[in-house]
Amino acid sequence: MMKIKDILSPFSAWGNINRKAVTVRDPFSERPGADRYRGFHKNDISKCIGCGTCEAICENKAIDMVPVEGVETKKGDSGLRPMVDYGRCCWCALCVDVCTTGSLTMSNEYTWVSENPDDFRYIPGVDKKPWDNEVKGWKNPGYSLYNPDRVEMEELKPEERITNFMELVKGYSKEQAEKEADRCVSCGICVASCPAHMDIPGYIKAIRDNNLELGLKLLYDTNPLPEICGRVCTHRCEEVCSIGVKGDPLAIRWLKRYIADSVPFEQYKKILGLDTLPEGKKHVAIIGAGPSGISAAYYLRTLGYKVTIFEAKSHPGGATMYGIPKYRLPMDILEKEIGMLEEMGVEFRFNTMIGREVKFDELYTAYDAVFMGIGFEKPYLLAIENELAKGSLQAIDFLREVNEGKTPEIGDKVVVIGGGNVAMDAARVSRRLGAEVTILYRRRIEDMPSDPEEIEGCEQEGIHIITQAIPTKVIVDANNVVTGIEYLKAKMVSDEKGGRPKPEPIEGSETVINVTAVIGAIGQEGAFEFLGTEWLEKLNIKRGRIVVDENMQSSIPKLFAGGDSVNATADAISAIADGHKAAKGIDKLLQGL
Amino acid sequence: MNYCYANYLKYKHDKNNTTMINAFNSTEDILNFAISREQESVDLYVRLANEAPTPQMRDVFNSFAAEERGHKKRLMNIQSSGQFKLVDKQIKDLKIEDYLVDVSETVGLTYQAALILAMKKEKAAFKLYVNLSTRVDDPLLKSLFDTLAQEESKHKLRFELEYDEVINKEN
Repeated sequence: MMKIKDILSPFSAWGNINRKAVTVRDPFSERPGADRYRGFHKNDISKCIGCGTCEAICENKAIDMVPVEGVETKKGDSGLRPMVDYGRCCWCALCVDVCTTGSLTMSNEYTWVSENPDDFRYIPGVDKKPWDNEVKGWKNPGYSLYNPDRVEMEELKPEERITNFMELVKGYSKEQAEKEADRCVSCGICVASCPAHMDIPGYIKAIRDNNLELGLKLLYDTNPLPEICGRVCTHRCEEVCSIGVKGDPLAIRWLKRYIADSVPFEQYKKILGLDTLPEGKKHVAIIGAGPSGISAAYYLRTLGYKVTIFEAKSHPGGATMYGIPKYRLPMDILEKEIGMLEEMGVEFRFNTMIGREVKFDELYTAYDAVFMGIGFEKPYLLAIENELAKGSLQAIDFLREVNEGKTPEIGDKVVVIGGGNVAMDAARVSRRLGAEVTILYRRRIEDMPSDPEEIEGCEQEGIHIITQAIPTKVIVDANNVVTGIEYLKAKMVSDEKGGRPKPEPIEGSETVINVTAVIGAIGQEGAFEFLGTEWLEKLNIKRGRIVVDENMQSSIPKLFAGGDSVNATADAISAIADGHKAAKGIDKLLQGL
Repeated sequence: MNYCYANYLKYKHDKNNTTMINAFNSTEDILNFAISREQESVDLYVRLANEAPTPQMRDVFNSFAAEERGHKKRLMNIQSSGQFKLVDKQIKDLKIEDYLVDVSETVGLTYQAALILAMKKEKAAFKLYVNLSTRVDDPLLKSLFDTLAQEESKHKLRFELEYDEVINKEN
C-alpha cells in the first residue's frame, strides 16, 4: 500500500531547486590522476613473452591469456597476451609488480566511458587506447616480487681446476636449492624449449615443498638420465627462463642435479616403481648405448618389452662416457645411472659392433623392432696441408683416450681448432695435461656454438681464444712432426640470405704460432656403412642425417632412430627425448595402434 | 668431340692458355668449349656416383651431376638465343677452398671430400675464364669470358655455402 510520504516527496524535492549544485561546473575538463595512480593497463607487446605470471597472480581472475593476431608462438614466447577484465580488476597492481619482463604497466588514466560493457575487457597494447603512451602511472622503483639474482654455485677455483680432473661444480645444498627454487614463478615457458619437455615447474615446486621423491618421479617421467643432464645438459630451458629477462635465469640444471643427487640411489627403483616390471614377449634391439639408446631402453622396459643393447665399445654411455671430460661428468655418476638399467633387466652386449660381430640382417630378423642411436663419431677433417703429421690429432680421439685413462702426447703448447663444446673440452683437457692452450676459431665469440659457460671456463683457466682466424696449414719439421700452425686473419661478411656472417680471409695477414700439437674439433658426421648397401638403399638419409617421422620411425619399417645421427641439435637432452619418443613409437608399432 | 674441346685437351697443360686462346675465333667456339667443360663435369660426377660406396654418396654425386647439367643447359640457351648479359655484380668469394688440400677423384669420397672436389673444380674453371678474358681484345669475346667466369663463381659459392653450413658448422 502506498504511503503518503511517497505521494508528497516529488513535490518536496522542488525545495532543492535553489541549492548550490554539488557537481563540477565543467564535467569535461581534465582531472588527471596522481603521478603514481594505478590506472588502466598498458602492455609493450614486443617485450611481453606471454609467460602468464600476471594471470596466475591475479586473485580476481581478471586476466586471461589469449592468442593475438600477429604474435606467433615461438621459443621463449607462448604467443599469448594478457586480456584484462575491468569488471573484475581491483587495480591492486600485483600483475604489474610480478611481470617478469616489465612489459605490463599501468597508466594513471582512470576515466573511461562506454555504453558497451564488453569494451571493458581488452588486450592492453593490442586494443589501442588513449593512455597507451602515457608515461605516468604505477611505479615502484627498486621493488621486485622475486629475487633477480641466482644462488651462486660453488666451483673449484681456476688454479685448482687445471691441476686435476676433479668435478669442478660442487652442487647445491638443501638451503641453497630451496632458495633458488623460490625464485621460480612457475610460468612453464621453459617446458616448450626443453627437447624432452620435462615438467620443470613441477620438479622445482617439489624442491620448494621438500618432496624430492615426487621431484625424482617427475624427472624420470621424461628423462632417465637426470644426474647426467643435471651436470652436462645444454639447458635450453634457462635461455628462455622468464625471470632471466630482468635478472639471472633460474639455475634449472643445477636444481635437477640437486634432486637426483639428494635422493639416495638405492631408493630410486622403489620410488620409481621399477622393482617389478612386466616381462613381455616382444624383444627390441638397440644399437648404441649412448643417451638415446639408454633412454629408449628405459622407457621400453617400463612398457614391458625385453631389451638388448648392442654396444661396439666396452662401456655404455656413448659420447657422455667417451667424449665428455670427467671434470664435467664423473665416471661414477655415469655408471650408477646406467647401472640401474641392468637391474631393470636390460641386457647389454658390449664389444659387439653391428656389421662386424652381428649382421644387421640378423638383428632385423630376430627382433621385433630395432632402435639405432649410433651418434656421430667420424670427425670432419680440417683438410689443410700436413694435417696427418705426427702431433696432429682429432678431438674426439683425444678425449676418448684421456677418458680411457691414457695420456696422449701433446707436448706443452697446443692449438685447438673449432668453436663447439668438443673444442672447448679438448682445450680444457689439454690445459689439465699441463699445456699452454690456444683456440683458433674462424668466426666471432658470439658465433661460437659452444655453451657460453664453457667459453668462460676456458678463459678462466687461461686458455687464449683467437677469433676470426682461419687455419691454413700445419707446419712440420723434417721428420713430419708438428711445429706450428699458420692462420689468416678474417673479416666477417654479412650473409645476404640472413644466415650467420661468413669469415673471409684477409690477404697478407698470415700469422704463425709455434705449437707441439694441433687438435681439430670442427665437427663430426655419422658412419652408416655398417648397415650394408642393401639396407642403405632403403634408408632415407639427408645431409648426413637419418630421416624419421614424428615417432622416430625411419624409412625401414621396424627401424627407429634418434640422437646425433637424426637431430642436428646434437646434445644429450635431445638424444634422450628422441629415445623416449622412439620407445612410444615402437610401442605403437608393436601394439598395432 | 668438337674442335674447340679437342684443342682444349691438347693445350690444357699450357699454363698461360696462350695456345688455347688462338683456338677461339668466335663466341660459338667459346660456348662450345664451355659446354664441353660442363659435360666433362657431368661425366665425372656420374662416374663417381656409379662408383660410390653408399647410396647416399651416389645421390650426392647425382645431384652434383644434375647441377652441372643445369649449367650446361644455361649455356646452350645462351648459344641458341645468341644473348648473354654480364651482370654488374661482384660474386662473393669465401675463399674456403683456397687452403684446402686437393682431393683425388677416386672412389670412397666422403661428403666433405666431394664438396672440396666440387669447389676446386668450379674455382679452376673460374680462373681459366678470367685468364682467357685478359687475353682477348675483342670486347664481345671478353664479355662472354667474363660472363662464364661469373657463372663459375656462382657455382663455387653454392658449394662454399654448403661447406660452411655443414662441414664448418663448429668451425
